[in-house]
Amino acid sequence: MATLAQSPNPDIALRIEGMNKYFGNFHALRNIDLTVTRGEKIVVCGPSGSGKSTMIRCINRLEEHNSGRIVVLGTELNDDVGNIDEIRREVGMVFQHFNLFPHMSVLENCVLAPMLVRKLPRQQAEEMALRFLEKVRIPEQASKYPGQLSGGQQQRVAIARALCMQPQIMLFDEPTSALDPEMISEVLDVMVTLAADGMTMICVTHEMGFARRVADRVIFMDRGEIIEEAPPETFFTASRNERTRQFLSQILNH
Amino acid sequence: MTDLAPPAPGMLEDLRRRFFASPLQALVSLLSLGLIALVGWKLLNWALLSAVFDPSQGAEACHRAAGACWSVIAARWRIILFGLYPYEEQWRSALACVAVVAMTVLSCIPAFWTGRRIAAIWLAGTTVFYVLMKGGVLGLSYVGEESWGGLALTLFIFVATCLIGFPLSIVLALLRRSELPWISRTTGLIIDAVRSLPLISILFTFAIVLPFALPHWLQGDKLYRVIVGSALFFAAYQAEIVRGGMQGVAHGQGEAAMALGLSYWQRVSRILLPQAMRNALPATINQFVISFKETSLVVIVGFFEIIASGNAAYGTGEWRFAYAEVYTFIAFIYFVFVFSLSRYGAFLERRMSVGER
Repeated sequence: MATLAQSPNPDIALRIEGMNKYFGNFHALRNIDLTVTRGEKIVVCGPSGSGKSTMIRCINRLEEHNSGRIVVLGTELNDDVGNIDEIRREVGMVFQHFNLFPHMSVLENCVLAPMLVRKLPRQQAEEMALRFLEKVRIPEQASKYPGQLSGGQQQRVAIARALCMQPQIMLFDEPTSALDPEMISEVLDVMVTLAADGMTMICVTHEMGFARRVADRVIFMDRGEIIEEAPPETFFTASRNERTRQFLSQILNH
Repeated sequence: MTDLAPPAPGMLEDLRRRFFASPLQALVSLLSLGLIALVGWKLLNWALLSAVFDPSQGAEACHRAAGACWSVIAARWRIILFGLYPYEEQWRSALACVAVVAMTVLSCIPAFWTGRRIAAIWLAGTTVFYVLMKGGVLGLSYVGEESWGGLALTLFIFVATCLIGFPLSIVLALLRRSELPWISRTTGLIIDAVRSLPLISILFTFAIVLPFALPHWLQGDKLYRVIVGSALFFAAYQAEIVRGGMQGVAHGQGEAAMALGLSYWQRVSRILLPQAMRNALPATINQFVISFKETSLVVIVGFFEIIASGNAAYGTGEWRFAYAEVYTFIAFIYFVFVFSLSRYGAFLERRMSVGER
């Protein structure tokens, strides 16, 4: 523990140590330990209610952890509001239900945080927004409102909106679970591109094809615990853990 | 050709089907039509054909006529509009009304919706209103609040109630959603307490009882105490409307804003309130309309707003019979203001629904 505080390793993007989280009496996360180096891509999977989403939501303080430590990019996540703000500036998040702001155009969605939080002038923010909208292949929709877009388009806008803050870590909380099947690949393609650019990514997803292609490590969670951590090949083909094998057979065999 | 919709019936055919499908239906339709025509004719006759317009003939001409006596309006409109305000100075009261209306109309135009512009409009509007109504500067003679009356007073109380009550309602709604239980519960208690009292008793308390409780320097004129009371009443109701609107905003909106690093006030002002106000708009317009009409309750604490001035207008011996005309005239004034308000609400709804699926 002491070494962590004294010599922050610049290669480490995220370190979680002994984290616990309760909802009332329910023990949602048990002794989570996780270290993510810069540029690493982590896929988190597991049955529903296993604490995957709760874990990544703790990383940017959408949920408060009850014990243990979380250090993001060398900044400790605690009650210090300054630290929370700093971490949120550097950590982008994409949600299952997109959560675009429906009363703003796509472009306004993208420039809002850079202008308010990073204090960018509007012109600069708009140029950047268009650049990222191009990256997610949707620049022609900039003046539309979220309600006029398909689910896949909305999720790509949400990715662009998060990227506009130029984060160093991206969190994905089941980004394709709310999408119609034919729209899943357009979102995954964008995520693959992002991974190829070297972004540090932590993705909660059941897209095992994506995990095989992109992940450096797959993490399997069950009942609030990390059960297994392995490179995708080992994870999918040679897991020795009973619960992992059971989960994999449930999602792969049909 | 089978997929074509059947041809739409012509208008006559449509009317026949809707109103004259069976003999009984035809009978009911004809009777209703006859009733409408009769009432319409009577009204037209009363209001226009047999009415007296020429004030020079005095009240006598009205007694001889069968229709409305509009000459009472021509003779007494200045009392209705300006109440007890000194006769020679009533142009000031008229201009003050124009200032308040102009201020309201300007602040309803989206182009002026920036903090600085709204503040400038309100500051200018209230200053002009104040200097004109109260005088004592720029060579205008002093007219105390106790002499204000009629339309100017009604408008002033309404606008002041909204200007104070609306921001207060947002603050109350936010406090009631606070995560700290002692703040949310206390706010809830205040809101519910105010809502369970009749407006009349609140006005009465602020106008008559409060002076006994407050130190002299804190009392202010009775008019301002009444405005504070009515603003509090407005805010208590509006706070619940705003809170309802906030509950309609998806939970994920705040989370997305948090994840982007927005501060509490940025989340409230950019994400939460715009969506909450859109949800709450119909009920909000309703509340404004109710408040406008409730200004007439200040009569109870001795203010001479437009209905009280109307009572005075027909209250002298000569015009005592002409109350229907005076009330019709006042109703017309109310209608102009309230109907404009409703239409503005409809405009806002259209404007805000941009981008909805």
